[in-house]
Amino acid sequence: MADQPLLKLTNISRHYGAIQALKGASFEIGRGEVMGLVGENGAGKSTMVKIIGGFDPGFRGEYFYDGEARHFKTPTAAEQVGIAIAQQELSLIPTMTVAENIFLAGDGVPLFASKSRLSEMAKPFLEEVGLGHVNPLRATNRLSVGEQHLVEVARLIAHNPQVLILDEPTAALGETDSIRILDMVKRLKDRGKSIIYVSHRMDEIFKICDRITVLRDGESQPARPAADMDVNSLVELMLGFELGDMYPARKPVARAEPVLKVRDLWPDGIVEPISFDVYPGEILGLAGQLGSGTSEILGAMAGSTKTRGGMLHYKGETFLPTRPKDAISRGIAYCSEDRKHDGLFLGRPIMENMSSPSLETIATKGILSGPRELQTTTENAVKFTIDPKRLPQEAGVLSGGNQQKVALGKWLSISPDVILVNEPTRGVDVGARAEIYQILRDLADNGAAIVVASTDIQEITNLPDRIVSFYRGVQIGELQLDDMTSANILEQITDPFHEAGIAVSEKAS
Amino acid sequence: MTDVSASTGNTPNLVQRIRRDYSPLVIGMVGLFLLVFVAGAAFTDDFLTWFNVKTIIRDAALVGIMAIGLTFVTLSGNFFLLSMKEIAALSIICFATLMSADWNQWGPVDADPTTWSLFMTFLVAFVATMIIATIAGALQGALIGLGGNPIVVTLGAAGLFFGIGSWWSDNLVISYRRPHGAEWLGTGSFIGDIPNITVAFVIIAVVAELVLRYTTFGRQVYLVGANRAAGRATGHENFGMAIKCCIIASVCAAFVAVAFSGQVSSAHVNYFSSEFGSSGDMTIMVIAIVMVGGNSIMGGYGSTLRTSLGAIFISSIDNMMVLNGFNSGARVLAVGLMIVFSIIVFALVRRGSRAVE
Repeated sequence: MADQPLLKLTNISRHYGAIQALKGASFEIGRGEVMGLVGENGAGKSTMVKIIGGFDPGFRGEYFYDGEARHFKTPTAAEQVGIAIAQQELSLIPTMTVAENIFLAGDGVPLFASKSRLSEMAKPFLEEVGLGHVNPLRATNRLSVGEQHLVEVARLIAHNPQVLILDEPTAALGETDSIRILDMVKRLKDRGKSIIYVSHRMDEIFKICDRITVLRDGESQPARPAADMDVNSLVELMLGFELGDMYPARKPVARAEPVLKVRDLWPDGIVEPISFDVYPGEILGLAGQLGSGTSEILGAMAGSTKTRGGMLHYKGETFLPTRPKDAISRGIAYCSEDRKHDGLFLGRPIMENMSSPSLETIATKGILSGPRELQTTTENAVKFTIDPKRLPQEAGVLSGGNQQKVALGKWLSISPDVILVNEPTRGVDVGARAEIYQILRDLADNGAAIVVASTDIQEITNLPDRIVSFYRGVQIGELQLDDMTSANILEQITDPFHEAGIAVSEKAS
Repeated sequence: MTDVSASTGNTPNLVQRIRRDYSPLVIGMVGLFLLVFVAGAAFTDDFLTWFNVKTIIRDAALVGIMAIGLTFVTLSGNFFLLSMKEIAALSIICFATLMSADWNQWGPVDADPTTWSLFMTFLVAFVATMIIATIAGALQGALIGLGGNPIVVTLGAAGLFFGIGSWWSDNLVISYRRPHGAEWLGTGSFIGDIPNITVAFVIIAVVAELVLRYTTFGRQVYLVGANRAAGRATGHENFGMAIKCCIIASVCAAFVAVAFSGQVSSAHVNYFSSEFGSSGDMTIMVIAIVMVGGNSIMGGYGSTLRTSLGAIFISSIDNMMVLNGFNSGARVLAVGLMIVFSIIVFALVRRGSRAVE
């Protein structure tokens, strides 16, 4: 680490309209350093990243790069001096080959370059990000999402950046792909690159970061060495108060009569039909990595994923939902992992989002009752700690955590007996995360059956009362509360057949 | 355009709010446009007379009713029906054929027809036309709802409907004798000197707006339009929605065809392609109105009120240009400019609102 920081921002302020996103925040990073940038949603992380990358020239404050005062007007200007951002959303062209994507900007490529020439040129960059085994002539959309993220980084590295910003690179990835990303960060660091690592995942932050900068309400804390902190003290810094235990206490569940029996359910993407029972009052966890089939199972139970066969036994009825309506009308709610895709109506008011599954209950003969809608949505909003004053606002203006609360909270309006939740806290900040866990637990304590699928190993270890595990479309086993340790779960979801020949503990570290 | 008319208010609060919510570019563009409009209105003789205002709304009525129907399709996220004028063409042929059909004359053979017999003739023709329009709408809606691309489906349907209409009428003008049972709708007026078609326009506009705001169906239109996947996940399928909305649009088009036929007491498949409105092409005019009203082309945002105002707006610009002696080419140009203009302004407004997040 050099004495003079490579990149230094001091006293940065930025406001959008009436909202003050950054209030005199500071940030610095040295050469060859991995700097974690953490904070709750809305703390100003994305704004800071945008300013550093030149996406947002409208800020006040000093910006020094390599000792020189700068004020980049465009992302291209920042890129030219060596600052590159890997955005959360992929910007690859899915139908083009990996090599073509890496040289999308076209610099350094001869005017007429054959495919084999391109692929030769792409090879070193792929090796650098740990994709040496990938054929550069493969179509990009044939790779896994994690590999695509790595290709995106390879493209940035092709410009030889000095500072690389990774904005939640693992948010949408499973365990194996995440490990790849972390390995790549370590390699780049060894080659003297500076990396700004933005993430919600505490374990990753502590694994790879040298120092950590915390943002809270647009203000920054001085950067601290990661070695001097632990998860609790970091969370405290992010929230400004002590969190206590994030996961609510479990009560013993009396499993007498299952509310829902899943029999021989065979969704697309699953290797063989699966069966399990769901009891009222419990939170059942479906553990599995990305691609293990847990999403498809929840989707099939809710009628939103295609199913080859199987039956649900529910309240003396045997049926298989073919569309979401079938499940909703019986009191089975399903919250998918992608709230922007099918969980929220971003352009519509929060109130309409909250009442969307239950229009029949607030209408008489097809005419909506405004007061009744206001009353029920207000009740449900309060249960999910959403400010009822915000009900007329568009759902799109909410932060990730509040959006997730709306996406989940809308299902209270049908008074569900079974709630299926896929990735309950993806892209959700720590504070809202604890609230969501508490609400799910309260619902279970009040007699609802809750099925949670999650790829987050901490969450799946600490939230559910019982776990059914999956690996590549195969049902592996069931874990009762006493056996639910991270190691047991990891073994079942990453390497149940001991194919890799290495111990799981080694893999996880 | 509704926000715009409000922006001329003088309360400091409102001005401050507008300056906060809208970028200077948007305020400048809208201001300039209003200036031109107001100046045009003030300096055009006979523009601001009761007679002329009635003319404007009357002109707006036919395209306006069609545009209100189409707004349901657009709001529900199913883009546009590019077959609006062909549905109208098929409807007008159907209507006029039945109006002139020998078996459909209910009066005494050798005497003047009575009011009752004329009305019976009209009723049979009207109901048959509406049934055909409903089938046409349901057919397109079903194909769109099953996942067909609205552009492809409705372009194909357009050829189908036009072909049937053209074949059925041998490509000839079908005329029927006055007095006939559709005069009251085409040219008549029950309330003072306000034409009945104007009254129909106002009633349809009000009912459509009430349906969208206060019924389950209206809410579903917005929800499915705002996010089709989330709509499905919360139990509102686009299949039924597309069918319902396409039927509404088709029935509105057929109603306009009936009213227009009643005005000219004849029909030809090309009436809505060449001899209608300033730009000649009814489909383009109707889409223009939906756009100028500021409805989101992606669905989920907008209202039929906006469409109605858009219709009156385009009609008044057109009227102003006619009074100033512009020929039809210049008027088509003006409509085109208005579409481009409104798309830019609404895009800027929406982008501005996103930056505030």
